[in-house]
This record gives sequence, C-alpha cells and structure tokens, in this order.
Amino acid sequence: MTETSSPKKLILYVAGQTPKSLAAIANLRKITEEHMAGQYEVEVIDLRQNPRLAKEHSIVAIPTLVRELPVPIRKIIGDLSDVEKVLVALKVQDE
Amino acid sequence: MSLDEIAELRRRLAEAEDTIRAIRQGDVDALVVGQQGETQVFEIGGGTDAYHAFMEVMNVGAAAIDQSGRILYANANLTSALGLTQNSVQGSLISEVAPMEVAEAVDHLLVPPLLGPLSTQVDFKRDGETVHYILAATPFQLSTTPAVAITFTDVTDRVRAEATEQSERAARAVIASANEAVLVCDRDGIITHANAAAHALFNGDPLGMEFAQAVPLQLPNATGLMQAEDIVFMAIQGTAVQGVEAHAPNAPKVKDFLVSAAPLRIGNDAISGCVVTMVDLSQRKEAEKQQLLLMRELDHRVKNTLALVLSISSRTLHHEDTLEGFQKAFTGRIEALAATHNLLAENSWTNLKIDDVVQSELAPFTSGVAGRLVTRDLDRLMAPRAAIAFGLVVHELATNAAKYGALSVTGGRVSVQSVPQPDGEGRFVVEWRESGGPRVEPPVRKGFGHTVIARSLQYSPTGGAEIAFEPEGLVCRISLPIEDLHN
Repeated sequence: MTETSSPKKLILYVAGQTPKSLAAIANLRKITEEHMAGQYEVEVIDLRQNPRLAKEHSIVAIPTLVRELPVPIRKIIGDLSDVEKVLVALKVQDE
Repeated sequence: MSLDEIAELRRRLAEAEDTIRAIRQGDVDALVVGQQGETQVFEIGGGTDAYHAFMEVMNVGAAAIDQSGRILYANANLTSALGLTQNSVQGSLISEVAPMEVAEAVDHLLVPPLLGPLSTQVDFKRDGETVHYILAATPFQLSTTPAVAITFTDVTDRVRAEATEQSERAARAVIASANEAVLVCDRDGIITHANAAAHALFNGDPLGMEFAQAVPLQLPNATGLMQAEDIVFMAIQGTAVQGVEAHAPNAPKVKDFLVSAAPLRIGNDAISGCVVTMVDLSQRKEAEKQQLLLMRELDHRVKNTLALVLSISSRTLHHEDTLEGFQKAFTGRIEALAATHNLLAENSWTNLKIDDVVQSELAPFTSGVAGRLVTRDLDRLMAPRAAIAFGLVVHELATNAAKYGALSVTGGRVSVQSVPQPDGEGRFVVEWRESGGPRVEPPVRKGFGHTVIARSLQYSPTGGAEIAFEPEGLVCRISLPIEDLHN
C-alpha cells in the first residue's frame, strides 16, 4: 500500500450555518474519524466569508466536498449523510 | 479536438449533471453565482440570519433541528436553559449535548410520522436542582431541509407551586384528621392554624390570638416558673416539650389536657413556629378520681366490717356459755354478714332490694319449702349500710325462729311485709310476723340476738326495731333509716 505515504487532502465548501452545511461538517468529521482516521488532511472553507474561493474548484452548489489529492479531483455534492456513497466516491476508481 | 479535450469535456458534463441532480433532489441549500465578475453565495429559501434573529427574540428556549436530531440552531434562551454554550451545540446531535432526559423527550417527539404540533413535559437536573420544561415540536421546511422547530417553556415555578400547594393541602388534611387538638403557632406565638378538635376548646376563633391568651392553662405539676406561654416559647426556641399535664379552667368542654409542643421546621429552613398538641385527659382524670374514691370507700368498708366482726365476736362470746355455742352463733352471724356482702358485691355495692336481703338471709332456714316464708311490698331499695344492718337483724330473727319459733316446727310460717305508716311519720316499717309455731313466752334473759335486733339500725334516728312476744308468734317491727331508702 502506498496510500499512507502519498498526500491526501479533502476540502469541504460550506455556506455559513445553513442546515446542509452544518450537517456536512458533522458528517465529514464522523466519516474521517471512523473510516479514515489520520489519512486525510481536511479543510473547511466557508464561501460566505470568502466567495471567491469557489473559483478554485468551480463550486456551484453548497455543500460540496472536493478530494483534491490524490488526483484526479473528485466532487461529492450534498450533506454527506449517505456514508456508503461518500466512501465509494473517495476510495474506488483507484487512480 | 484531442482525446484529452474530449475526456475533459465529458468530465465537466458529468459534473454539471451531478450538480443539477443534487439541486433538484434538494441535496444543497446554497449556490454560488458569478455576476458581473463578482462571485456571490445565495442561500436557497433565504438566509439563515433571518431565522436566527427571529429565534433570538423569542422569550422561550427554541431550537431548529433536522430529522436526525442535529441542532441547526439553538437560541440563547435554550442554551442557558440547558446549561450549554452556543458554540458547542450548532451542528451537534441533541443527544450529544443535552441532558439525557431532554434528548429522550426530543427523540420521542421526532418519531415519524411527525405531523402536527406535539408536546411533552420533561424534568431534568440543572445545577443540582430539578427543573421542569414543556417541549413542543412542530415540523417545518428550512430551505431544502425538513426541520423541526422545538420550543422549551420553563414551567418550573408552576410545577413547584403546584407541589407546594399539594403538600400544603396534605399537611392541612393531616392536621384536620387528627383526633387531638392541634394548633400551629408562628414565631411570635400567634395561632395560625387550628383543627376542628382545637376549635372545640374555645368559645371563639383562636386564629390570630396568642396561644397563652387563647388557651389559659394551669400547669398543676409544674413549678410556678413554667407557664403556658413558656411551652410555646421553648418550642419556638427549638426545645420540644412533651406531655405536660394542664388544666384549662375556661375551656367550654374538656378541661384536662396532656400538652406537647414541638418546633416547626419547614424543609431545611429555620424554625418558623411550633406545633402544639393537646390530648384530652378528662376520661383518664375521671377514671383516676373514681379509682381513688373506690379505694377510700374500700378502706372505709373494710375497717367498718372489721369493727363489726370484732364487736360480734366479743358480744357473742359474752352471751354464750360454751365454745360450741360460741362457734355456732359466731359462724352464723359472720355467714349472715357474708350473705349481704355477696348481694352487695353482685350489685357492685349499689342499693339492694329489701326483699332480696330477706330471701338471702332466710334461705338456709326455709330450705326452699314453699309457703314457709311470705314477703310482700318489699320492693324499695336500701343503701349498703342499711342492708348490712338489716341483714344481721333478719339473721337473728331467723335463728331465733328456727330455735324456738315458727321455723322450729313444720307448718310454721313467717311473713315479712312493709306496714303502712300514718302520713308525716317519716318512717318505713317492715313487720316480721311468725305464725303456726309453738306458743310464745317472753324470754327470761335477753341474749345478744336481742341486742343486735334492737340496736343494729339505731345509727339513724329513724332506724330501730321492736320485738313483741305475742303468744301466737313473735312479731318484730323494724324501722329502716329513711335516709338510706330509695325508690
């Protein structure tokens, strides 16, 4: 397994404290703690504070989770309440 | 177009489709819109600030939660009600931050289908104190998220007031149900409560009066230092007073009481007054008096009887020539005395019917033969003193009749009856008349029997007896002391 050594980064885009933003933050924390503890560097970006940061990953809908590394970039839109769907999107299609 | 470019276009198309599907499904609640080179974030269904501000001005605790129990927003009223800080609750599940009882109540309200407003009461501990809240839940749509608005209304004061009122009602019922007089005084010794038994002690309403003034008590067994007001004062100072005998000369009904007083503490507070109980002692006092009276009476009677026995003994000895004669006469007289005593004992030392004494004394002599003894008009009652003396007289007459008179032969008869007296004489005379016996001659000497007959009833001016030795049979007229006779 080479995954442990390669850099991994997740960015969650939220909009202040909308219901889905709150749910997405909590769900992501739970998923990373329970299923991939220590494997990812996680960043939460509040686009209400900083709308221009949406450009970086062409974010249109909020909340959106972006797997920035490893490439290729993956996006998951929604509050991340479907854990299986999130795990599949992050792990399968191994690059 | 290169293959890479085509792949990139395909990827972007898939991403666009994903975004549209997510928006359509309600998976997102904010959109990023580029407008004239400027990027803006729009929240679907309006900004969260608006409903946050609205919830803050509500004067009850309020929270918006999603259907999994996640707190979307909780106002300051609620976070302080639950003892939380605002930062810690947003995004948390209610079960993670709220007291267990509250979380369970919310869970219960969230059980689908959650249709209309639902409410429940929840009690939990906050800073060591039990508090009470009414939770009400109403479903609503918060942008694209189905949410539930929950309000928390503090009903602690109301619940406590109800509990206080209930316990007060119970306390009042306990006091009212007590058989003993129960009075409650405040710290100044003023009566604030009195039950029905206590009301019976006064001629007016004792409420508002000082205890010592409402119930003037005399404490016969206490030293002069101790007064009624001291009982209350000691209890208010924290010293219970138990079982002090007291007399209430002004009470309308009961006069004698056993008084106790105890300090009144409500909860853990300082003494707020005292509770005085007064147990009715009148029956006990009456029984004690009766007992004392009976003991004195018994003492008196025993002494009298002993004196009588001594007198009978010495007189009998004086008049009998032989020991056998003495023994027979003495035993007979003591038995006569015993017969009357038996009658008195059976009747609890109350008055005896004249006829019963006659029958009882003559029973050994007539042996139950019908017609030998005839009694008439002897229904009046006589006091014990007269009964004992009369019993001895009848015994002497019967002994004499059995030896020398009508009862010494078959066919002899004795009739005993009252003889009417002229009005104003103030006497009641019973006549003993013998017939059918041997011819009577007056005796040569008078024996003790004669003395007994003549003197026994002379303790009263209206008492006495006279014997006439008529040839056909002895006649004795016995005057019974008028003051010892009753109808």
